[in-house]
Amino acid sequence: MMGYDEYAALNQRLMQGQRWYISGRPGTERISRYRSDESRLLYYPRIGVYTGSGASHSWLWVAEMLDRMGFHDVAFLDAAGVQNGLLEGMDVLMVSGGDTFAAANALGPAGALAIAHFVSRGGLYIGACAGAYLVMNSSKPGLADFNFTAVKITNLSKSLPACFQMPHKFSTSYGCDYIFHPVRETVRLRIDGHLPFAPDEELDAPLYGGAGMLASRDVQVLACYHAFTPDTAFLVDPGLASETLLGTAAALRSPMGNGWFYLFGPHFEHPRYPAANAFLADAIFWDSQPNSAGRHTAEAPPLASEAESRRLLKDIKREVSNARICAGGMEMLPIGWLIGAKYYEPEKIRYFLEAIWHRLQRLEKGGRVRCSDEQAQRLRRFSIATTERVRQLKQNIESTEGTRDLAESLFSLLQCYAVTFLELYFQTLSNPTFNSRS
Amino acid sequence: MEYLSGGKIVVVDLGTSEIVEETLEESLVEEKIGGAAITRHLAEAHADGNPIVIGTGLLTGTLYPATCGGIITAKSPVTGKLCHCPVTLKVALEIQFAGFDYIVLKGVSAKPVFLWVHDGIADISDAADVWGKDTWTTTDAWRKNMGDDLIQTMVIGKAGEEKSDCAQVCLNYWASGDRFGFGKLFGMKNLKGLAFRGMGLLEIADAEEFIELSLDMLEDLKESAFVGKQGIGDLCAAIGEQGAKEWLAPIVHRHSACYNTPYPSNTFVYIDEDPQRVTEPEQAEPGFLVTDLYGLLGFYKLNLSAKDACGLMRECARLGLDAATVAEWCAANGKQAAGDIQAALPGISSQATISGRGIFSPWCPRQPIWGAFEAAAQDGEQWWERRMAVAAVFGIHPLMAVMAPELSEADLLETATVGTGITFNQERLNGVIDYLLAD
Repeated sequence: MMGYDEYAALNQRLMQGQRWYISGRPGTERISRYRSDESRLLYYPRIGVYTGSGASHSWLWVAEMLDRMGFHDVAFLDAAGVQNGLLEGMDVLMVSGGDTFAAANALGPAGALAIAHFVSRGGLYIGACAGAYLVMNSSKPGLADFNFTAVKITNLSKSLPACFQMPHKFSTSYGCDYIFHPVRETVRLRIDGHLPFAPDEELDAPLYGGAGMLASRDVQVLACYHAFTPDTAFLVDPGLASETLLGTAAALRSPMGNGWFYLFGPHFEHPRYPAANAFLADAIFWDSQPNSAGRHTAEAPPLASEAESRRLLKDIKREVSNARICAGGMEMLPIGWLIGAKYYEPEKIRYFLEAIWHRLQRLEKGGRVRCSDEQAQRLRRFSIATTERVRQLKQNIESTEGTRDLAESLFSLLQCYAVTFLELYFQTLSNPTFNSRS
Repeated sequence: MEYLSGGKIVVVDLGTSEIVEETLEESLVEEKIGGAAITRHLAEAHADGNPIVIGTGLLTGTLYPATCGGIITAKSPVTGKLCHCPVTLKVALEIQFAGFDYIVLKGVSAKPVFLWVHDGIADISDAADVWGKDTWTTTDAWRKNMGDDLIQTMVIGKAGEEKSDCAQVCLNYWASGDRFGFGKLFGMKNLKGLAFRGMGLLEIADAEEFIELSLDMLEDLKESAFVGKQGIGDLCAAIGEQGAKEWLAPIVHRHSACYNTPYPSNTFVYIDEDPQRVTEPEQAEPGFLVTDLYGLLGFYKLNLSAKDACGLMRECARLGLDAATVAEWCAANGKQAAGDIQAALPGISSQATISGRGIFSPWCPRQPIWGAFEAAAQDGEQWWERRMAVAAVFGIHPLMAVMAPELSEADLLETATVGTGITFNQERLNGVIDYLLAD
C-alpha cells in the first residue's frame, strides 16, 4: 500500500504533465500490488465533491483524504451545480454520507439524469454510506429516479429489532420499512480480488449507518464485511449484527455505459483509516478516465496580492478561533439536534471549523492565495456570521431557549463557509506558483 | 524559536490601536533564557510607552512539575521601580497556549478596552460594557460573550479604574501577587484587562527525554518535605502562624493547586454555606478561593472572625484591591470592625509596605517553607531573590521555589536544554539572574 506522501508525490508529477502508467510489467512504474500486465495511463483527475442538501459533515473527510493524497483539482458541487452541468467538467463525483432522501429530493430528476449521463460517458461515481444508498435500486418516490445499481440491502426490516444503544442513531424509516444500523465504528473487511485490489487482504473502515449489500451478477463485489473488531459498537444483538452484515458486500462497483458506480457501505474516506483511503485512491486511478467533455471550464480566480492574502487569512483565522473556542465550550453540554434525518451533536460544529483551521497555516506559509474579491467578501461575511451564530447558540442553550432552528441555520452556514474556504484552498494549491513544500 | 514556544511576541500600542507581531528570535532566548529576563528586556526596549509586559517562563505549561508560572513586568506606579508580579492558577498556562510568549502593552487607550488573546490573534476589544463592573462580573461577562468558561483573565475592578495605589490585577476572580499597584497602571491605560484562550500545542525538541526528566522530578517531589501538607493553612503554620491555621480550619471546604503544581496552595472557604457540604452548593458563589497568604494573615491579625476576614478578602478581589495592603491600612487607621472596613473599602488608596528591593512580589514568603535550602541560612534575602528570579525565568510557581530544593537550577537548566534543543549552562543562568537583580 502506498502512503499519503507517495500518492501526493505521484499526483504532483501527474499535475506537472508527466506520463505514468499502472502496470505490473517489470521495468514500469506501479502504484499498487497489481497482478495484471494490463497497462493503464494515469490521469490527474478533476474531482467533484457533493456538498449540497442532504450531505452531512462527512464530505469533509473526503476533502481531507484528497488533500493528503495530493488530489487538489477539486470542486465542491451542490444540487444546482449537478443539475446545471458542472459534472461535465469532472472525472470523478464523490458523494459521502448524510440524508439520502434529502439529497435525492434536492437533486431531483434533473440531478439523477446528470449523474447517469456523467457515468455513462465514462465518469466515476463514488458513493459512501448515504451516497451509496442514493444510487441503489428503489421504488420509493424521489429515490426511484436514481435506480442505477442492482443492489439490495440487508439492513432493511419491516419491524425494528431491539436497540442496545444510541437509539438516536439506530434507524431511519424507509417507506413502511426501516433501515437499521446493526453496528457502528470500526469493522474488518476482506478484499475480493478484482483489479486493481489485492485479494484476501484485510482492511478496517468505519461504519456509520452504511449498508450491507447484496449484488446482482453484473456487479463486482470488491470487499465484504469479514469481522467485527474490539472497536465495533453493537446497536443490536451481536448475533443479529453478524447475520445482517458478515459476508455481505461492503464495497462494490457496477458499470453504466463507459463509467462505473463505486458503492461503499463504510466510510473508506475517513481520515483515520489509511488503508481504506488507499483503496479509494487506487479506485480513482484505475477507473477514472480523461473527460472528453473538456476540463477547467471555469477560469481560475486571480492571485490576490501578498498583503491582501495575509489580511484575508488573518480575518478568517480570527473568527475561526473565536467560533471554535465557543464551540469547544459547548461540547460537554448534553444537547443534540435532529436536523432532517440526521442527528447533530455540538462537536460536529468543530469538524467544519477544524477543517478550515488546519489549512490556514499552510496557506499562510504559502504566501498568496487564489481568490476573487467576491469570494473574499463571502468568506469574511461567513466568518463573522459563524462566530455570531455559534455564540448565540451557546447563549440560547444556557438560557434554555429553543435552539433547533438556530442549530440548523448554523450547520447550513458552516457548510457554505467550509465549502467556500476549501474552494479557495484547493484552487490555491492547484496553482503551480503556490509553494507546495510549505 | 521553535520549541516550548509559540514563537511570537505581540506589541500592542493602546494609543494608536496598532498591533505588531514579532518573531521571538532564538538568539534572544539563548541570551535571556525566558520569563522575567525577556519581559524586562522588552520593558526596557519599549520604555517610552510605559509598557506592561506579560510573559510566560521557558517551561510554563509543560509536563515539568510546578510550571504554572507567568509574569507581569512593569514600572510600578507606586514604587517607581521596574518589578515583576507572578501569575499563577491556570492563567499563564492559557497565555502559553494562546500563541504569544510575550505581550507588550504600551501607550494609553482613549477609551476602556481589553485585549482578547486567542490562538495567535490579539484583538483590542471594547470594554465599555464592563467598565465600572467588578472583576467577577467582568470575568463572567467575557466568558459568556466569548462562549467558553475556560477563558482565563487578568482583570481590574473599580479600584484600578479609580487609580487606587493598592489596586491589584486579579486572576479570574481571585487575588494575585500584585503588590505593586499594577491594577492602577491598567486603569491609567484604560485597560480593563486581558482574556486568554488558546488551543495550540507546544513542540518539544526531545519529547521523550523531556517527559522522562519531568517524571523523575515528580518522583523526587514525592519525597519532598511538603508532602502531606496542604492549603493556605499549612503555609500559615510553616511561617509561624499556627493560630491562623486553626482559626481558618472551620470554614475550609477544599484545597486546589495551580496548573501541574504538586502543592495545593489555594484554599476554598465556604462563607455563606456549610463547609461540610459535599453536594452542589445552593448558592452560585458560596465562598472564596484564598490565594494570598499575607492578605489572609493581615485580616487575621485584625482579630476578625475567619468568615468576616474571608468575606472582606472576597470584596477586595471583586473591587480589585490588594487585601494585604488593605489590612495594613486598617491596622494603621484603627479599623477593626468588619462593617467599618467593608464601608471603607471603595475609597482605600494606600501603598503597600514592600521589604527588600521590591523587584519581586513579597506575596511569596521570604523564607524556606519546609524545604532545606543551605543558601538561605547564609544570606536569606539574597537566596530569596535568586529563587524568585529562577522561578520567574523558568515559569515555576514562586511558592514551589521556596518549598522544593529539588527544583534545582541544574535540573531546570537540563530540562530547558532538552526541551528547546538550546544548550543552557550555569554561567548563562548566572548572567541572566545578575541582569534581573540589577537596579
